[in-house]
Amino acid sequence: MNDRRKALMGGVLGDNVVLSGLMVISPVIVCGDTLKNAAALVYAFSAITFLAVLISSFVPQKLPYTVKVILYAVIAAIIYIPVKFASKQLYPESISRIGIYFPLLAVNSLIVFQTEAKFFRMNKRDMIISLIFCILGFDIVMLITGFLRELFAYGTINNHIVDMNTLTDGLSKPFGGFIFLGLMCGAYRFVRNAVQKDKSEVRSDTDVSYK
Amino acid sequence: MFLINDLITLLAANLILSRALGTSTLFIAAGGRKNLTATACVITFFTTAGSTAAYFIDKMLPSAVSDLRLLMYIIVIGVLYVLLLTAVYYISRPRFEELRKYVHVSVFNCAVIGTLFTINERASMNGSSYDLGDYAAAGLEAGAGFIISALILTVAYRKLNSSKVPSAFRGFPAMLVYLGIISMAVYSLK
Repeated sequence: MNDRRKALMGGVLGDNVVLSGLMVISPVIVCGDTLKNAAALVYAFSAITFLAVLISSFVPQKLPYTVKVILYAVIAAIIYIPVKFASKQLYPESISRIGIYFPLLAVNSLIVFQTEAKFFRMNKRDMIISLIFCILGFDIVMLITGFLRELFAYGTINNHIVDMNTLTDGLSKPFGGFIFLGLMCGAYRFVRNAVQKDKSEVRSDTDVSYK
Repeated sequence: MFLINDLITLLAANLILSRALGTSTLFIAAGGRKNLTATACVITFFTTAGSTAAYFIDKMLPSAVSDLRLLMYIIVIGVLYVLLLTAVYYISRPRFEELRKYVHVSVFNCAVIGTLFTINERASMNGSSYDLGDYAAAGLEAGAGFIISALILTVAYRKLNSSKVPSAFRGFPAMLVYLGIISMAVYSLK
C-alpha cells in the first residue's frame, strides 16, 4: 500500500480518531455501554460529521480562522436538527439515554479542528475518502466498545440474554468506560507497533524501536 | 470541615470525572503548568460567561423548538470567542500569538458546550427556582472542576509518560486508566 493510500485510509487502523487521536471520547466513555446506544451514536456521528465537513468545505478559505471555526460549528449545529429528528424515529429508546452527548457530537474535533488541520488541505476526492475512513474508525471502535461493555456489564448482546458466569457492573459506569478505553488504546497501540515492526523487518534488517 | 464538604461536593459534581466532558482538552491542559493555567482560565471564562448567556436562551427558547438550543449556544460561544480574542489582542498585543492558541483549543469542545447542556438539564429538573446566579455559579463550578481534574492529572503526568510504563500504554492509555481509577473513587463519594 503506498503512502498516499495509507494516509487516506489511516483513519481506521493507522491513525484511529478515538484510539490514536483521542477525539470524540466522551460519548464512547459514557454512552458506549450497550450495542443499541452505540448504533444510535454511530448513525448520529456519521451523518453529522460527514455532512458538516462536506458542507463546510465550501466555506471560503480566505476568511479568518476564528470566523471559519464558528461557521463550521454553526453548520454542524444546523445539520444536527434533522439528524436528531430522524434519530427520534429510528432510535427512540437510545435518544433519552444518550441525552446531552447527542448535541455534543456536533462540536467534535473532526468537524471543528481537523477540517482546517487535515481535510481542507486535501483535494475534494481525497478529503471524502479520508473523512469516510475517519468516520469508519470511530464507528468500529464505538460498536466494539458497545458490544463488549454490554456483554460484560449486563450479560446481554443487543438486549438478548447471554449465558455469562461473571458480570462486571462497573463497566457500564463512566469509570468503567475510562478504564476500558484506556486498555483498548493500549491494545491498539501494541498491535499497531507490532505490525509496523513486522513490516519494517520484512523491508530491511535494521532494528525498529517501539515509539 | 466545611471546606472538606465543599471539596467532596465539587469532586462529585465534577463534569470530567463523572461525565467525561472535556477529557481531550484536559490532556492538553495537563501537559505543563503554563498550559494548565491558560487553558483552565479560558475554559472557566467560557463556562461562566456561556452559562450566564445560556440562562437567557433557556428562558426565551420555547420547548417546542428545543433542538435549536445547540445552535443558540454555539452562536453565544462564537460571540464570546470573538470578544475574548479581541480583548486579548488589545490587552496583551505582544503575547497575542502565544495566548490565542489556548483560546482556540478551549472554545468549541465538550467541556464548554457540555457544561451548558448539563446546567440546562439541572435547571429543567429544578423548575423556575434556578435563576441567573445559579447558572453563573454552576458555570464557575464547572470551570473549577476542570482545574481540579487537570491538577489531579498533572500530578501523575510525568510518571504516566515515563519510560517505566510499557510503550503501548505510555501516555494517553495510562492517563485514561488513571482517570478511570480517580473517577471510580469520585463515584463512591456520591
